[in-house]
Amino acid sequence: MTGWLLFGAFVLTNALIYGILALGLNTQYGLAGQANFGFVALFAAGAFATTLAVLPPPDSPEYVGTYEIGFGLPWGAALLVAAATAGGVALLMGLVCLRLGGHYLAMVTFAMAQVFASFLANEEWITKGQFGISPVPQPLRDQVDEASTYIYLYLGLAAVVTLVAYILAERAGRSPFGRVLRGIREDEVAARTLGKAAGAFKLKAFVLGGVLAGLAGAVWVGSIGAVHVGQFIPVVTFNVWLAVLLGGVGNNRGVLLGALLLVLIRESTRFLEGVPFLADLAASNASFLPSLRYVIIGLALILVVRFAPQGVLPERLRKRVQPDLTADESAPVEPVQVKA
Amino acid sequence: MDYFLQTIVYGLATGAVISVAAVGLTLSFGVTGFINFSYGEILTVAAYTTYALTQAGMALPLAALIAIFMGGVVTFLVARGFFEPLRDRGPLALLITGVGVAFVIQSLVQMAFGGSPKPFPLPLMTPWQIGEVYIPKLQVIILVLAIVCMIAVHALLRYTLMGRTMRAAASNDALAKLSGLNTRRIIGGTWLVSGLIAGLGGVLLASSQGNMSPTLGFNFLLVVFAAAMLGGIGQPYGAMLGALVIGLGIEFGAAYVSADYSQALAFGVLIVVLLVRPSGFLGKPSLATAGGAS
Repeated sequence: MTGWLLFGAFVLTNALIYGILALGLNTQYGLAGQANFGFVALFAAGAFATTLAVLPPPDSPEYVGTYEIGFGLPWGAALLVAAATAGGVALLMGLVCLRLGGHYLAMVTFAMAQVFASFLANEEWITKGQFGISPVPQPLRDQVDEASTYIYLYLGLAAVVTLVAYILAERAGRSPFGRVLRGIREDEVAARTLGKAAGAFKLKAFVLGGVLAGLAGAVWVGSIGAVHVGQFIPVVTFNVWLAVLLGGVGNNRGVLLGALLLVLIRESTRFLEGVPFLADLAASNASFLPSLRYVIIGLALILVVRFAPQGVLPERLRKRVQPDLTADESAPVEPVQVKA
Repeated sequence: MDYFLQTIVYGLATGAVISVAAVGLTLSFGVTGFINFSYGEILTVAAYTTYALTQAGMALPLAALIAIFMGGVVTFLVARGFFEPLRDRGPLALLITGVGVAFVIQSLVQMAFGGSPKPFPLPLMTPWQIGEVYIPKLQVIILVLAIVCMIAVHALLRYTLMGRTMRAAASNDALAKLSGLNTRRIIGGTWLVSGLIAGLGGVLLASSQGNMSPTLGFNFLLVVFAAAMLGGIGQPYGAMLGALVIGLGIEFGAAYVSADYSQALAFGVLIVVLLVRPSGFLGKPSLATAGGAS
């Protein structure tokens, strides 16, 4: 029984981490309409920044002799460092990419994430490359003795950070800033005509998305107490996309729910080992079940886009007009009814 | 100096492989207007089909031909089943669907063949030697096949009815429809041709690398895209030129700068091109006028 509870806490913590990521991507895409296909780079930036911030410096008594860079900062400060670093990477990414649109933005952000990944893989003095960095001190780990109790404690910590991220994303979305962004998303030319500096607004939303991804990176490192470049592959980006699309583009509660659904879908594939026929196949091919997991993720992406583009909780706009975000931009839009 | 010439030889061969793949990608972009994210997976499918057929005892050339055909058929079916129902849904729906298809195909290949690299079944060939420069026979064969492919694409676009209708659809879809062209059939044909070229690209890529893994094509997609972009996306001749530049760039980057960053260098080129000259080297002619006016 406790085994199941622990497993549940572990799954929920993962769902919260993906939830923070989904809030970040939702700010970039759902609110500002900027399709970032290199989102994982921001997550990685946050994770490595956290690691460097919390590792004990070489001259401290806690130093375990695995890594030369370490600032020994408390975890509270590390969260800020992670947010600032990922926000900074998002700023660079946005400055370079945001004037592009549609396909080009997606491909270039994807390419930038690959460049960033090869930077992380090759600059071993920062990341220790294929070896990874372990152990990374976990927050409040010395407060509890039992490893199992710590899993519950950590779930609570992750929930607090998620709440902060949710409030940040929600406040940005509901403020006049958010309304301008929605306006730019729907019709950039119209927003510009009204004197709104579309580029600056999009860039700010992009940076805010990066800040949230940085927080997610910090929570991720703390949850496992280790970091490795192999954790930040392009698949992560598309997992976050699936969470956002599943939950409902533009709806912050929706994308949190989407993240939970994503993690449940992923974890449920663990139980496929119990199916006799699949178990035989898995025994002969070690990569069989992990691959099957990706097949399911891929199918989910295809099916959600095709049959449920609004997601579980669609974006709720205050006006009665509900523009179909998935429609062709050249399609005629219904006239807005203005109340007298 | 010999090192320099040697690098040019490898750069040309790498460029040849990229150019074949880039022409297929750019052709489908020209007619359908979106970037097929699962394009790389067609290369993977062709490479593994060749591997499986030769393992079953088939001769390499015949296996490669069937693999190329497979590339065309898979692309056609994927496009009909997954892309065309979303044609009027904007770029993101198609991009995400492409990513989904890529994951499914890549993972199915991994489920069938496992994740560890498989050797590409090539016979051993001794290289020619000119002075101090070695010219591997394989690289020459790749170059020749790539040139044949380019000539075939040129002939298709320039001289055949299908090529002309493809160019018509690329330049103005609505007008082509009004003129009584069956654009659905044209688009289907374009996917088929794009897939056949991708199949050849996959066979060439796997043979130039000597082995293959399930991520073969996915990892190559950005390089191919960089070449297509550099030449001006949707423009077959631009793609050939772009591929040559990227191929030489990768090999020179690896030889003189840093092997670790040779791929990143290609993506860096892609990013700079998009920002400085988004229309690529050849702003014109597009696919619509490829092969000369007619």
